[in-house]
Amino acid sequence: MQAPVLRLENICKRFGGVVTAENVSFELHAGQILGLIGPNGAGKTTMLNLISGIYAQDSGKIFLNATDVSRMPAYRRARMGLARTFQSPRFLQKSTIQDNLYLGTDLGEQLGYWKSFLGRRTLNFREEVRELMRLAHIDIDWAAPITSIPYGTLKLMEIVRAMLEKPRIMLVDEPAAGLNSQEIEYAVALLREAADRRGIGVILIEHSMEMVMNICNDIIVLNFGRIIAQGKPEEVSSDPAVIEAYLGTEETACAG
Amino acid sequence: MQTFLQLSIIGISMGLIYSILACGLVLLRRATGLLNFAQGDLLMLGAYISFQFLVKMKWPMLPALVSSILVYALFGLFFMFAVFWPVRNSAWPQAALVCTIGASMILQEAVTLIWGSVPLTTKPFVSGTVSFGNLKLQNQYFLIMATGVFVILLIFVLFDKLYPGKLMQATAQDKYAARLIGIPIVMTIAFTYVLNNVIVGLAGYMVAPVFIITGSLSSLQYKAFAGAIIGGFGDLRGAVLGSLIVGLVESYSTYVTTIYKDAIVFLVLILVLIVRPQGIFGEKIADKA
Amino acid sequence: MRAFRSSRLARPLALIVLAIAFIVGMPRISSVYNIMVMDSAILYFIASLGISILLGMGGQLSFATASLMGFGAFMSALYSKNLGVPSALAIALATLSTAALALFLGLALLRLRGAYFTFATISFAYIATSIYNNYKPFTGGADGVINIPTLTIGQWSPGDLYGWFYVLMAVAVACFLLVERIRGSYFGRALASIRDNEIAAQTLGINVFATKVMAFTIAGALAGLAGALYAHFSTVVSQAQFTFDISVNMLLMVMIGGVDSTFGTFLGAILITMLPEWLRPLRNYMRLIYGVGIILLMVFMPYGLTGILRSALGKVRGKALSRKSDLQGGT
Repeated sequence: MQAPVLRLENICKRFGGVVTAENVSFELHAGQILGLIGPNGAGKTTMLNLISGIYAQDSGKIFLNATDVSRMPAYRRARMGLARTFQSPRFLQKSTIQDNLYLGTDLGEQLGYWKSFLGRRTLNFREEVRELMRLAHIDIDWAAPITSIPYGTLKLMEIVRAMLEKPRIMLVDEPAAGLNSQEIEYAVALLREAADRRGIGVILIEHSMEMVMNICNDIIVLNFGRIIAQGKPEEVSSDPAVIEAYLGTEETACAG
Repeated sequence: MQTFLQLSIIGISMGLIYSILACGLVLLRRATGLLNFAQGDLLMLGAYISFQFLVKMKWPMLPALVSSILVYALFGLFFMFAVFWPVRNSAWPQAALVCTIGASMILQEAVTLIWGSVPLTTKPFVSGTVSFGNLKLQNQYFLIMATGVFVILLIFVLFDKLYPGKLMQATAQDKYAARLIGIPIVMTIAFTYVLNNVIVGLAGYMVAPVFIITGSLSSLQYKAFAGAIIGGFGDLRGAVLGSLIVGLVESYSTYVTTIYKDAIVFLVLILVLIVRPQGIFGEKIADKA
Repeated sequence: MRAFRSSRLARPLALIVLAIAFIVGMPRISSVYNIMVMDSAILYFIASLGISILLGMGGQLSFATASLMGFGAFMSALYSKNLGVPSALAIALATLSTAALALFLGLALLRLRGAYFTFATISFAYIATSIYNNYKPFTGGADGVINIPTLTIGQWSPGDLYGWFYVLMAVAVACFLLVERIRGSYFGRALASIRDNEIAAQTLGINVFATKVMAFTIAGALAGLAGALYAHFSTVVSQAQFTFDISVNMLLMVMIGGVDSTFGTFLGAILITMLPEWLRPLRNYMRLIYGVGIILLMVFMPYGLTGILRSALGKVRGKALSRKSDLQGGT
């Protein structure tokens, strides 16, 4: 078995008295889609922030491709192939769609400011974007301002931008929230492309159980910052601890 | 030794004046998230208004003081509606800040138009001097100190103990939630502006006798900025402590140089920033991710 | 895609045509006095480009521009007058020196964020003024530095104000292109992402602090260049030309034209420099007018003239967009 692209070792984090991560350890492999689920406030987004380096953990270690990045600033982790999306998409509000997507390729190319200033490009940006846009069924004038795009498309586009970064790991925070069923399908297609064809390891936070069960290879269930269950989707969904902590609190959410 | 004592007293008095400016900045910051670049100009205006009542209209001390405070309060309200209110929801985040710079220019020009460009003076409120050996110090400095301490204590009590302060805190932390639980936001913001202008105006009233009254009084704010930053912005204790440090550093630096004492204060600021970017009391603020 | 292509070509083309018309036409129709005002407008424009990068792209508001400009001017005067360095080289050295100062300042002050950084630059401007006022060996104090050699490159020198117009215009166009290139490259996008959201910028692999410091250094270099050119242009410099008010004026130039438009900055520079000429009877009230102007600007058009233009165009364009031209349209 290959070495994991991401490994967490006994990660702990508190905010004041609130424990948001307690002894969390897990691994993520290339091409794996790992679902991170749990009730609201379970510490899912905090976990993504810890992995991407926006928060510093109190104790524990994080490895990216076997390199210890525990004390590495967020931007260097990103350059090592860690991409992420946010619950509410974050784009350059005053720029065109094209400029926003370029920000992804800028990182993917690893050119730096100077070479970019001189006008070098190494990747075939257009080809790449066209292919991803086809998967996402986005059909737009990319000289248009970013504000002209509907919300659902923006969320898909954030995944596209993350994939343009040529990452090895992608952290995806609630991609389906606010999307219609059609758009959810497109999001699934993008994530499948990322994991299956490009071998990107994906961590997915999602409240739509249908999507999680459908797409994830493995699932981790968090509650109050602790891992309470871990395994294949079918194992997890029948785990009594999970049903009590998670499914029980959200009543019929997971009937499917 | 005598020089040291004298410099210490001057340093603390000036530090207290800077503290008042800095506390006002912190209060405004808490209530509106805004930084006020016209803070020093409000002090300058305070000094000019004291001149108007005391010298021009020859009112006695007490009525002049009371009327001045009234004018400061009214002007604070006006200042809020002229400079902050129209841009509070602006598309451009720096708009409110840039507006206060505009206000500063207007105030500078306005006082010259009203009171002329010749420097003015008011008489010390307490006459006489105190002697330390062969050195003399105006009694006014002690009045400045007393007033400074009084105003600062007032702010602390108001903020840490009493209801209006808690309202302001709540409003600053979350406007939406504040509205939900029925805190009248306009009122609290208005109150902050009024309070700020009163204390800053009062500071102007107090320093008017020891300084000549000119437009350049507004430059006192740069020391207050430095003090607030050194203390860690957003913290009242820090603002006071930082301002006192600035006042003392500035005063003691006259041992070495009189021309470049501003430069020395700034150098201290830079050093503090390098060693401790968040200031003395400031916490490292993480953005909400 | 079509729209993308045409706008990409049409805009620079239009600007180039405009610029040529301006460069060729301006000296022919202008009086000596007007051309002098125009020359100083161009100098301010060069310095304002720094604000355009720092504020327009990166969202960082600095009031150090005039002080840095002054540093460039005094340095170039020092190099050429006291050390006998040829003026063209002195300008280059002064630009580098100012960039170095800005780098140092940026490393210290950009640890502060947002408005606190702005505070610190204001303090710096205040201190710089007091040093420029008092440190005679460097600045000549209140008298300023006189008899600075004019610009000579080999045997050639600009001679009169018209000659200077071409020199300054050439430098301005070069700086303009530089800034436009930055806007369209990774660095510009990185700055924009810092302006919009620092957290998101980090997760896109952007070193926020280093990027801000670089922007501040480039802005410093532009201000230094403008100051150095000014020193040799007027042959006399004094601290009164580099006060806080001048920084405010330059900020106005950027904002009135549109904070995120380089061309708008050019319009703004001309407008603000010409304004005291046009409003000659109101000369004594200029600060008052500027102050009221700033507030009105912020209230009614925070994105300046080009902002108004763009939102008008945007409305027209929005209708056109509904037809949804697509990516397949062309490669």
